[in-house]
Amino acid sequence: MKVIKIKTVIIGVLIPLVLLFSCANINLDLVNSSQVELSGVGLSEFGVDVSPEQGDWLIMRLSAEMPHLNPLTSTDAYSSLVNSWLFDSLLDRNPATLELEPRVAHKWEVSDDHLIYTFYLRDDVLFSDGHPLTARDVKFTFDKLMDPLTDAPHLKNYFIDVERCEVVDDYTVKYYCKKPYYQHPVMLGLLEIIPEHIYGKGDFNNHPNNRKPIGSGPYMLSEWQTGLQLVLKRNPYYWRKNEKMPHFDRIVYQVILDDNASLLKLRRGELDALTIRPEDLLRRVNSEKFRNQFNIFIYPRPAYSYIGWNMRRKVFSDSRVRKALTMLLNRRKIVEKVYYGMAEIIESPFMPNTPEYHSGLSIIPFSPDGAKKLLEEAGWLDSDRDGIRDKDGEKFYFEVMTTNANPVAEKILTIFQEDLARVGIVMQIRLLEWASLLERVDSRNFDAVLMGWQMPPDPDPYQVWHSSQSEKGSNFVGFVNKEADELIENGRVCFDREERIRLYRRFQEIVYEEQPYTFLFAPKAILVVDKRVHGIRIYPFGVYEREWFVPKSLQKYTYSDD
Amino acid sequence: MLRYIIKRLLFVIPTFLGVSLITFALIQLAPGSPVAYKLRGEGGAMRANFETEKIIEQTKALYGLDKPIIVQYLLWLRRIITLDFGKSFKDQRFVMEKIWETLPITLQFTILETFLIYLIAIPIGAYSAVRSRSFLDQLITIILFLLYSLPSFWVAMLLIMFLGGGDWWNLFPVNGINSIDAYAYPWWKWLLDRLWHIVLPLFCMTYGGLAGLSRYMRTGMLDVIKQDYIRTARAYGLSEKMIVFKYAMRNSLIPIVTIFGGLLPGLISGSVIIETIFSIPGMGRLGFEAVLSRDYPLIMGIFTISTFLTLFGLIINDILYALVDPRIRLE
Repeated sequence: MKVIKIKTVIIGVLIPLVLLFSCANINLDLVNSSQVELSGVGLSEFGVDVSPEQGDWLIMRLSAEMPHLNPLTSTDAYSSLVNSWLFDSLLDRNPATLELEPRVAHKWEVSDDHLIYTFYLRDDVLFSDGHPLTARDVKFTFDKLMDPLTDAPHLKNYFIDVERCEVVDDYTVKYYCKKPYYQHPVMLGLLEIIPEHIYGKGDFNNHPNNRKPIGSGPYMLSEWQTGLQLVLKRNPYYWRKNEKMPHFDRIVYQVILDDNASLLKLRRGELDALTIRPEDLLRRVNSEKFRNQFNIFIYPRPAYSYIGWNMRRKVFSDSRVRKALTMLLNRRKIVEKVYYGMAEIIESPFMPNTPEYHSGLSIIPFSPDGAKKLLEEAGWLDSDRDGIRDKDGEKFYFEVMTTNANPVAEKILTIFQEDLARVGIVMQIRLLEWASLLERVDSRNFDAVLMGWQMPPDPDPYQVWHSSQSEKGSNFVGFVNKEADELIENGRVCFDREERIRLYRRFQEIVYEEQPYTFLFAPKAILVVDKRVHGIRIYPFGVYEREWFVPKSLQKYTYSDD
Repeated sequence: MLRYIIKRLLFVIPTFLGVSLITFALIQLAPGSPVAYKLRGEGGAMRANFETEKIIEQTKALYGLDKPIIVQYLLWLRRIITLDFGKSFKDQRFVMEKIWETLPITLQFTILETFLIYLIAIPIGAYSAVRSRSFLDQLITIILFLLYSLPSFWVAMLLIMFLGGGDWWNLFPVNGINSIDAYAYPWWKWLLDRLWHIVLPLFCMTYGGLAGLSRYMRTGMLDVIKQDYIRTARAYGLSEKMIVFKYAMRNSLIPIVTIFGGLLPGLISGSVIIETIFSIPGMGRLGFEAVLSRDYPLIMGIFTISTFLTLFGLIINDILYALVDPRIRLE
């Protein structure tokens, strides 16, 4: 008896150890062999030549659960994802051209001075409880948003130059703005409309319907199992019902926090679409089974990372030094080693592969020799021969801060740190948690910072780059340039996209010369979708799930209540 | 005894006031503001925004952050006397409602965990003490040290990889605490489904504590076994079973039993890491996220409950001492 027990115990201890070693080997092999294979992966579209059919379910993952679903007070990305199925806005954006299109408003007019916007609403739009959507609901939404008692600071910010909203008749609404601004039609047009008869009563911030949202979108919330999943079903009153919209009977979001667990569920067929990490793709891409089960799409994510140099600091006040620092960052190596090729190097704050991005800006190459020359020109020499460059008695030493939640940022900085040390620059890496990092950035109490910005389809460099934002706004690096200011201001009141692109090109050249940021990468998204899902297209700003469908012959889930 | 308990209970009030004032000031003085956080959104990338003072001031007023800290503290104190913990900054839901939602989930784990740890650790510890320095004792020691030093997130990952239906066995679910359609099950099936879901996380939460407690038990037992009265019992020719279970075991349980009071605050805190890996909506995550987003009312709510539990745990500790060890008198 005793002997047997001992054996099982020993085996019990040994198995994890053996497995640990075998895991490590698997990883190494795949990283080495997959670099070449990857070139064949990544579709740009799938099943777009088949005409859409209705039916089936689409099951996706939420990596965190939203506290509630209210287009005005929800702050997280997950709720805006779900809200976009539940609520309608006056206008819609064409994912391909990025132009505004009719939605609830079938027509809209702009006054010559770009201050008054008139929207003409369709009269057949109903909320999911059967109530008609009228101009009063639009006005209610706007007034509620601007109410000082409404907890929506993130959204209010964008509407400060809108003076008021006026109901002309049941289906006509007018917005009056204080200043002309090219983004006003976008913001007003894309604000999701909430019904007054539901949200008009009671405490708005903690409204009971925040967990039972009612909108006029293609879907309505069927059930919400806290911590587990959200199920959306068709809105029986949806105004585009006769056009065979929407396609799926159900949209299901499963709350799965862990990346490994969600990949597992995807492979078991319990998820239909999932964004995965580059290392997961490397591990799976060579598997026959995986490639037979899924289509893989790789496309740029509308966000970029950068290292911002606090130009108020003496070390970073010279543009030659900032350029030298960019030349010391081996961005190609980082894309290869840290992102496994799944990122694009950028040189300006606009979305790559869109007309706004200045493609004429060449990528500043990694060049320690070129950097040394620039540093010497700027007066940073190692005068006391201690291996660290100095100028006027001050050593070239600085601290770079970033968030502790992003392991990629730490890897990038570690590579940077080594290359800087070789030319005599000491960089300390400091990881802070998000709220503390924001505090340091807001009080301008930092040398350098690695962070990211999201890129909206309608870029406006004002908040990040205008000199007026350098004291208190988002221009925390303190970039002040008169010509850039003028270009930015003109861009805001320029209503012709071509003309704006011309202004922004010149603006990008200035930023490129000045290097207030060392621009890093626009990481790519790797989307894995079950093969039965058709109608997938890659647009400049990602995918558009509303177009997806499953042909009748491939449908997996048939249950529906309509 | 009764007088002692009443005295101790009265001491809870000033202790609580002191501790809560310090915590209240500390979380407000920590860098980072809930308003800036809300304005900017979460995660690594920010949205560009106009930093309008007016909106910041409005939001501060809405959250009640426009008053001096001491006034805010007094207002908070006045509210919690009526058990009103206020509303969370994150979603404006009542703090108590959020705590009540997650508490049962965490409690079910921690209670089962504590029960399992005691159930397994006591016999293991007693066995290693009685058969001290035998081969099996040494083997147990090695294994327990190994277990104790394995980080639980790593073990959780391995379990998910090998038992969660990847390339190896598909034995256990890897997320949540029930199947998606569990609400429609009969109660016995629901219970089985729940148990099936919590096997892996429960294992990860248990094995570390198990290793620790069985060491306590072993040391306690070893101390007792060396005592004169055990030798006397042996000399009287009492059976080994009688000696171990009746005389040695009972006395060596004293330190173990009294640790119990100290476990009380731990019962509600939950495990952030395990809850995150297995997507369990528990208190650990609630508290962790509250701290990250500077959700002051929620932090204070959770803190108040755990302070009270700690203070009562200490009192229960003292009472347990007196109960299991007649030599101790509470005055």
